[in-house]
Amino acid sequence: MIDIRDLKLQFDNVKVLDGVTMKIPNNMIYVIMGPSGSGKSTILRVLNRLVELYKPKIEGEVYLDGQDIFKMPLTLLRRRVQMVFQIPNPIPTLSIWENVALGPKLNGLAKSKAELKERVRWALAKAQLWDEVKNRLDAPAASLSGGQQQRLCIARALAFKPEVLLMDEPTANLDPVNTAKIEELMLELKKEMTIVLVTHYPPQAARVGDWVAFLYGGKIVEEGPVKEVFTRPRHELTEKYVTGKI
Amino acid sequence: MIQVLFYAGALLAGLLLSALTAALLGDPALGDLHLSYVLYVVTVAAVALGAAGPRVLKNSLSIAAAVAGVLGGAALVYIFLAQVLYVGTAMAVKHGGLAFLWNIPPTPADETGGIGPALLGTLYMTAIGAFFGFLIGFPAGIYLGEFRRELAAKVARIGVNVLVEFPTITIGLLVYALFSLLGMRAFSGYAGALALTIIMIPYVALFTAAAYASIAPAVREAAYAVTGSLYKTLFIVMRKVVARAVLVAFLLGTAKIAGETAPLLFTAFGNDYYTSEIFGVDLGEPTGALTLLIYYMAQTPYTVQNEVAWGAAAVLLWIILAVFAVARLLQRSA
Repeated sequence: MIDIRDLKLQFDNVKVLDGVTMKIPNNMIYVIMGPSGSGKSTILRVLNRLVELYKPKIEGEVYLDGQDIFKMPLTLLRRRVQMVFQIPNPIPTLSIWENVALGPKLNGLAKSKAELKERVRWALAKAQLWDEVKNRLDAPAASLSGGQQQRLCIARALAFKPEVLLMDEPTANLDPVNTAKIEELMLELKKEMTIVLVTHYPPQAARVGDWVAFLYGGKIVEEGPVKEVFTRPRHELTEKYVTGKI
Repeated sequence: MIQVLFYAGALLAGLLLSALTAALLGDPALGDLHLSYVLYVVTVAAVALGAAGPRVLKNSLSIAAAVAGVLGGAALVYIFLAQVLYVGTAMAVKHGGLAFLWNIPPTPADETGGIGPALLGTLYMTAIGAFFGFLIGFPAGIYLGEFRRELAAKVARIGVNVLVEFPTITIGLLVYALFSLLGMRAFSGYAGALALTIIMIPYVALFTAAAYASIAPAVREAAYAVTGSLYKTLFIVMRKVVARAVLVAFLLGTAKIAGETAPLLFTAFGNDYYTSEIFGVDLGEPTGALTLLIYYMAQTPYTVQNEVAWGAAAVLLWIILAVFAVARLLQRSA
């Protein structure tokens, strides 16, 4: 359960989030949708504190299972909360195997070589990439296609066995076939973890989401079960957005 | 591929030219100089004609001149490089071949000699300078590259930029003063190694900073997302992204300090003799270096010492060329 309370965030003098409050229950796909620049990706980057790279001013509180994430050791938080990015970003100089093994190795998540091997295999299988790469695990990650690279990044995140998976427009750069594969994967994964998905494409929210929040100008305009928000939007802005008018 | 062939061809041409002129004139250095000069004059004349002549002549000549200018200019450098390699290696062979590498340098009264203590001194001081220079320069470079938007890093960067352009002889003087003030022996291999370290640091730091700054933002975020430890992000994940560039920086920096003379004048000082039974050279004593040996022996009026200086120059060049070759190969395969 992720509990965000009155989150405000600004870079220099630019306000990005203006009092966001949301509760994200476990084992569901929670979709944050909204136009470009509405602050969607920033919320995700607050949840794993990656946003701190850009030196923002943050107010408000965020709890993960009752623990304040800003007081939690960063290593612990990143072990529990993993992220998949908009641009597939495997470490280009490492092999397929090394990319997935990276997280468990750096964080001491596997006690033995055999355990590490099993974990990497499991993560690649879970990300539906194992059959395509099992014979060339030592090949450079850059030799994979875009869709495969994105699934490799999902495998890299899954190798942590995270509680929360943040997905920042993971299909924005992929073709329909690879998009469908990854959407299927999300539905499968939500049985084991909480997924927070950011998208600027309403049909995707409707296809995979359980709960959706519509973000506009750093504020939540409306949130609720996907069906409700898409069929009976309460707010004019939401209606315009889901019908493609903004 | 064409580039490699060109370099090889130019080197080969230089070697042949050197051999030919050596045979014809009996004085290799002078012969090459004349030929290079002719090449230069022809190039300049072609450029001048191309610029001033009638249109048809102008167009065809200016293309020819541009090609000749580029090839000629590069060839000129390679001819001199080949010259030193050829004559120097010949001198080394003349003065004992492999034994040239460990014999001590000749006095004017000797008939032959080698470069032993100087070669060892260069290897030791360069190794120490490269090691500590990298040890300090690499993390410094990470700081400059990764935190480049912070004020302290901006100030530090100015300092490093100044340091990298500093006249190296003043770094020698600085170390000399430092050792003297501390009551330590300024004319020693350790002082020389420290001077080389100081020269290596900004070189490695700037290369490393450029490499870290060039990491794509998406990859950078991935490097931070896979661990909460800043140390592991910077020194393990991101290092793996730029490993090759950093290794090249290390090699080029090493080649640079191996060829330094000025910072050693007031520190290592030079020594023609072995000073330690175990290591050959005791770095607590005044220590020889190839560059110092070339500097001193090229100035004397004695043929035997001049010849040994040629040999030393060739050995130094071979070492540096080998390091460069490794660095280039690494860059190419990246």
